[in-house]
Amino acid sequence: MIAYIIRRLLILPVILFGVSLLIFSMIMMLGPYQRLSTYITDPAQLKGVDDVELLIAKYGLDDPWYQQYGRWIGGVLTGDFGWSESAGAPVTKAIAERFPATIELALLSLIPVILGGVVLGVISAVHHNKIIDHTIRIFAVIGWSFPSFVFGLLVLMIFYGVLGWLPPGRLSNWATEIVRSADFINYTGLYILDGILNLNFSIVLDAIRHLIAPVITISILWWAFILRITRSNMLETLRKDYIRTARAKGLADNIVVYKHAVRNALIPVVTVAGQMVLGLAGGLVIVESIFNIRGLGQFMANAAQQLDYPGVLGGALYFGFLLILINLLVDVSYAVIDPRIRLE
Amino acid sequence: MKRSLVFLFTLFLVISLFSVAGAQDVNNPDTMVEVNMGTINSLDPHFQYDTASAEVVDNVYENLIMFDKGDINTFLPLLATEVPTKENNLIRDNGTTYEFPIREGVTFQNGNPLTPEDVKYSFLRALIQDRDGGPVWMIYEPLFQKGSLGGVVKEVLGEEKNPKDLTAAESEEVYAYLEKAIEVTDNSVIFHLPKAYPPFLSIIVKGNGLGAILDKEWTIAQGGWDGQADSIAKYTNPTKEEDPLFSTMNGTGPYQLVEWVNGEEIVMSRNDNYWREPASIKKVIIKLVNEWSTRKLMLQRGDADIVYVDKQYLSQVENMDGVKVITGLPNIYMGVGLMNYNIVTEGNPDVHSGKLDGNGIPGNFFSDIDVRKGFLYSMNYDAFVNDVLEGDGQQGKGPIPEPLMGYQPDSMTYNFDLDKAKEHFEKAFGGELWDKGFELTILYNTGNDVRKSAADMIKYYVEQINPKFKINVRGIQWASYLDKLIAHKFTLGFIAWGADYADPHNFVVPFVSSDGTYGGFKGEDYAKFAQKNVDPLIEKGISSTDPAEREDIYRQIQKQAYDNATDIYLYQPTAQVIMRDWVKGWYYDPIRDPGQYFYDLSK
Repeated sequence: MIAYIIRRLLILPVILFGVSLLIFSMIMMLGPYQRLSTYITDPAQLKGVDDVELLIAKYGLDDPWYQQYGRWIGGVLTGDFGWSESAGAPVTKAIAERFPATIELALLSLIPVILGGVVLGVISAVHHNKIIDHTIRIFAVIGWSFPSFVFGLLVLMIFYGVLGWLPPGRLSNWATEIVRSADFINYTGLYILDGILNLNFSIVLDAIRHLIAPVITISILWWAFILRITRSNMLETLRKDYIRTARAKGLADNIVVYKHAVRNALIPVVTVAGQMVLGLAGGLVIVESIFNIRGLGQFMANAAQQLDYPGVLGGALYFGFLLILINLLVDVSYAVIDPRIRLE
Repeated sequence: MKRSLVFLFTLFLVISLFSVAGAQDVNNPDTMVEVNMGTINSLDPHFQYDTASAEVVDNVYENLIMFDKGDINTFLPLLATEVPTKENNLIRDNGTTYEFPIREGVTFQNGNPLTPEDVKYSFLRALIQDRDGGPVWMIYEPLFQKGSLGGVVKEVLGEEKNPKDLTAAESEEVYAYLEKAIEVTDNSVIFHLPKAYPPFLSIIVKGNGLGAILDKEWTIAQGGWDGQADSIAKYTNPTKEEDPLFSTMNGTGPYQLVEWVNGEEIVMSRNDNYWREPASIKKVIIKLVNEWSTRKLMLQRGDADIVYVDKQYLSQVENMDGVKVITGLPNIYMGVGLMNYNIVTEGNPDVHSGKLDGNGIPGNFFSDIDVRKGFLYSMNYDAFVNDVLEGDGQQGKGPIPEPLMGYQPDSMTYNFDLDKAKEHFEKAFGGELWDKGFELTILYNTGNDVRKSAADMIKYYVEQINPKFKINVRGIQWASYLDKLIAHKFTLGFIAWGADYADPHNFVVPFVSSDGTYGGFKGEDYAKFAQKNVDPLIEKGISSTDPAEREDIYRQIQKQAYDNATDIYLYQPTAQVIMRDWVKGWYYDPIRDPGQYFYDLSK
């Protein structure tokens, strides 16, 4: 298994190189005037431009594509991923600053999504076609079909607009002041964890208070998704011969379901959960916008919109890296869940 | 079960009521929270050229003079002790010398004292930096009659050369030329202009970052221009990444920078050592929240004191408890439909066949005055103002907006008149256009609904005039829109201009001069017309120091624009500001809008 993991990790740079080359060529299909829009975001800004061609030359927008790509990849090899015009910061800094917010939200969302989804999926399958199954399925359909921008706004309106309990942003103003002060050490950028490590529990509570609404919004969608996958796999597994055999042997129903069936039904769930983690860790533009969280989703959307190619490429590399890493974790999880699977 | 549900529901309602009631108290009396959707581009006053950055610069840095609470005709001294006038002889030599006595006892936020040398350094630094797309062009014209450092380099060296490529010796020559314009004597700074330039004070006034005064010692320590004559190439035209003042500040203003989290918020704290009375508000937070619903809820809860609200959402806040909505503020701004006299037809699908054959338009389509007049009479201005702008604006009277010199409320304008439109279309191209018809595409940049509505309206009415007239309206990304403008491939494009400074010169140059920012997009035929009929008037207007004479000249320019149907002067919108009613001391400044000067505000 270790050889397999090493082999997969060794392929990583090749895949990332391919991804960057592909995206770069797509951006290069646009002419220099179009790519100038990264720097001229409003026509009125042209009043300060003496000569548009000089401005294009300044940023090397009319250089041959291989020179532009060479400049970028040369920087990457020395650890310089370029300057993101849309974020107004070096790409590495822009991603590093937004990463904790995205990852904190993703990690916290995973708990209700996976636990809720799997548990309810199993319950639903076990009580197939009974009232409890129908009820769970109705909620799953509602959750899955509710657009997150509608549900998110609804949550914000009720729990912030009316009740004032769950405000947008990552922290309150007073808490932001504390975490940015010299007395507070930002170990990870994840405020809940940093609050615990600094033994400042008011920060932990404030961070949780700000995360509940976005977590609910994310959970309601993904929870329904995991539930449906778990349920259908459980139903299929429960019909398998070995389950009938286990029951015929006189094993207790709980042992049959939770020891024998669930474990086998979980393999497809792990695959889907991997995709879900990838989606969450890549940032969620809508949830980030509604709850005013400065995360990676907004960063990548802005970079793409502004044709900020260092930003787009940096984001793509991050996402590609994450994709490979998560797929690897999923493969390893298969082997852990099902000992018959060997990674070679 | 039912009883528990009823109990829970009642509890929920009671808590809701209490929560709403609680939200009406004055929140954070010492802190002002503004929530908007403008991304700050840079904190360097000489680099930034957008309203979001300008607001921060305006609160941290100071200029020599300022407007009297938004009155664009009255100046007050700020870092200067007197406003130069002819009467006090601080403007002399026929308006070519401006002297500013510098205030003593002022310190920068790092404790360094303000000196006249700082003032000279600041202006020279701006002139040397002169980044592409930045604000410094405004000061080149009065000081050197040029548009940029590149123009000065050409003048001094006698050849075109990119300032980035200057040798040390060339740099010294150019620097000597620049330095002659700004002189320090005793405790004054004197500007020498080659000829009179009436808007000079309006350009360097507070609100315009290019006139912000930096601490020379501190700027050099940060890695800014070293104050040497031979180093222009190193410090000119930086990228954001190369600019050492991109994210750090040190001014003499009432607030100092605490932290800027780009894309999230900027925090400023009161400067307790400010040379005037310290501000009332101790802390200012400007948050970037792109989602309107979130901004609205923050306003409603009182977590935001001042919120940016798009016109389309005004009705949602008009009756909100504890919220003050001020509308109808005169915005010095003009939205225009630009007609391209010489469209590049090669590889341009928007002209369709590219010929006057009923299936397209020729490149010189808009060179025909009757075509332009036909379009001008086909626009339903009242409907546009009432329905699209929801009444918050007025039809433009020419390139100059209200209340600048040359604007007249009763100027001649084109009204919506399809009969007259028909009359002109019939005459266009000697009647050929009417017989054959045409097809063209009007583009707008996606997301700009106002421009889309204007284009749709033109399409609707022009197509009614003659069934052979066909107009397509197509939305494209901003990047492609920019490409079309620069490459002269647009047919009729909508564009806007907001005031950099309060003078008609700032509007007539971009719109109607032969090489203006937008005038230059209109092609060779327009350039020829403008060189003969408009440019001489613009030159006369900027050279005269007699206000009555200037007024008359700018009226003539407005009339030229009307008589020759140069553009569709579509609308001058009004501005609006929305704040909690506990915000006190607010006043409107049309140049600073939508930014706030927090020094004058309290809660």
